[in-house]
Amino acid sequence: MKELERLLDRVIQRVNINLRELEYDVNPLVHNLIPLNQMTKFYAFYGITPNHPLNLQFRHSNLAGSYFLGRCRVTNSLLYKSDIRGDELKQKDDLFQYQEFEIPMAEDEEIEIEDSFLIKTLVHNFSHDPETLEKFFIKDTISTQYANIHGSPSNGSFLGPFATVDLTTIRDCLIGTFSYIQAGEVSHLNIEPGTVWVRSPETFNFLYRFPLQRLNNYIYFTAGSSPRGIFIDFVEDRKEAFQRVFDVLNLEPSVSVPSSASLDRFAVIKPKTHISENVLVSQRAYLQNAWLGKGANAQEQSYIINSRLEGNDITAHGAKIIEARLGKDVFVGFNCFLRGRPESQLTIGKDSIIMPHTIIDIHKPLKIPAGHLVWGLVTNEKDLDNNSMSLKAFAKIETRFSKGDMIFEGSGSEFVTTFKERIHHILEANGAFFNGISNKGHAQQNQNISFNTIQPYPKGEKEGLYPTIIIRP
Amino acid sequence: MKQYRVKDLMVPISEYATVAVGATLSEAVVALEKAQEEYCHTQYSHRAVLILDKNKQVVGKLSQLDFLRSLEPKDEEIERIKSIGKFGFSSKSIALQREQYHRSIPPSKDIYANAARLKVDVFMQTHSEGEYVNEDTSLETAVHQLISGRHLALLVTQRKKIVGILRMSDVFAAAFHVMKEVEATG
Repeated sequence: MKELERLLDRVIQRVNINLRELEYDVNPLVHNLIPLNQMTKFYAFYGITPNHPLNLQFRHSNLAGSYFLGRCRVTNSLLYKSDIRGDELKQKDDLFQYQEFEIPMAEDEEIEIEDSFLIKTLVHNFSHDPETLEKFFIKDTISTQYANIHGSPSNGSFLGPFATVDLTTIRDCLIGTFSYIQAGEVSHLNIEPGTVWVRSPETFNFLYRFPLQRLNNYIYFTAGSSPRGIFIDFVEDRKEAFQRVFDVLNLEPSVSVPSSASLDRFAVIKPKTHISENVLVSQRAYLQNAWLGKGANAQEQSYIINSRLEGNDITAHGAKIIEARLGKDVFVGFNCFLRGRPESQLTIGKDSIIMPHTIIDIHKPLKIPAGHLVWGLVTNEKDLDNNSMSLKAFAKIETRFSKGDMIFEGSGSEFVTTFKERIHHILEANGAFFNGISNKGHAQQNQNISFNTIQPYPKGEKEGLYPTIIIRP
Repeated sequence: MKQYRVKDLMVPISEYATVAVGATLSEAVVALEKAQEEYCHTQYSHRAVLILDKNKQVVGKLSQLDFLRSLEPKDEEIERIKSIGKFGFSSKSIALQREQYHRSIPPSKDIYANAARLKVDVFMQTHSEGEYVNEDTSLETAVHQLISGRHLALLVTQRKKIVGILRMSDVFAAAFHVMKEVEATG
């Protein structure tokens, strides 16, 4: 396993060199975060479909338990139980709109992961950086448990547990635990844990920062120990259910799935789950007594338990919905944690937007009115007053506004429109609007998929390393 | 036209307000007031206090701005507000956040009482290389040094010893005087 150790040391050193300006040493945080013998235990797997270009190249890397789809090149890296989804990459001759430029793609886009260590991380979408449209690069980067790298090329950066970078190029940045960043391009920034930042330069700027003491109950990460808190307990409690879906080769779906819907064979489905037309359930999603109306989706690492989603609802990567009722067209952002109780249901009115990285954790019933924007930490009515606003009122902000721990500057109308357009695009991409003939999306295109597995060296110096593998049509 | 040298314009160190390292801000204020009363030979009064070590060497300077900095609250919330800047918010938004914060806490005499007891060492500014000027330097060179370093004053040296302070206000007065002289003589 010597080679694997050397590889990890090499990645840590490269990240530290990039973060030297921030005087940050990732070594104590990362070195024993995943014991190396864990990284030799699991097979990696990849999907083949008639709908996605295929070009996978793995060199001098560990890929334990990771999943690959599309075009991806991995070199000198460790990928532990990560999902590298290349099903939204741009293709040759596509036109990319950036400001007033229409940039044609010279070749198919590729995810390029080099000298990086990704732990239970989701990589998805495509590069939004106009300077590197054909390469969605992740270089000299370490991301920890349940981080999301979504349409965000990254260089020399560290992402804490449950951190998300969304449509943002990051260079030499430290993204704190449970922080969400969507800011176009950032460099040399140290983002504290629990920061939710959505910025479109010259248009709007939204910032919310969690009260750290309260956030620490949910997720806390410090050097020398694994991440801990309610989030980790929640996923650990359901870990065993995933073992079966990864251990069994042929697994028949335990629920009826309409022909226009897609249920990934690596999702966990518990009894009394209902899947309607145009529903998309991605790998590593967990559904238990979940009613998913037409066009709803449950993305990677999402959990929907004892809940009903009326239709066209988005459960983004890593979001958790427990004991809740969602009206139609509700958006639940990345890594949200929405927890009602059997006697204290959470109700979310239609057309509401629950901002990425929102925590709603209640012991008394709570109703969020239709058409509302909710952010931050909500445990009761008072918190909801402080951390929500009707979208109509938000759209009227013209200069600046602050409420509780949230501060906003710019055009509220642009902010709401941008969000709504993005929600529409997500539903479209996921196949929610499929009419039997047109508007196909992931729900329809991911149905015909085969999975192959690949394995590392079982013993010796190279134990845990995968041989060089090139997979092409 | 008069050819000014730095030593013609400087305030001798003996006329300047000084306190020893370890003095409190309150002692520094008293020293400044005393110097302002005793040495008011120009229209510009002293606005800083020099900090001396045990060998009477100048080790730092406390300006009016440094005094005011001591009155700023230093709690977690203020630090959080300060850090908003890195997220690209305008200075107006940051100022509004501060104002909102200050309105939310009751005014307190403690801020002033606490500041009075603080040590000058915490707030004093040490001098950089570009803040020293030889006493025989010309007015023009001194002007350039003030401009390029954006300094309000320079420490005047005689060999290795600090013998005075060259204040921007005195340099301005001299330059203005020369200008008027040139205008008058054509």
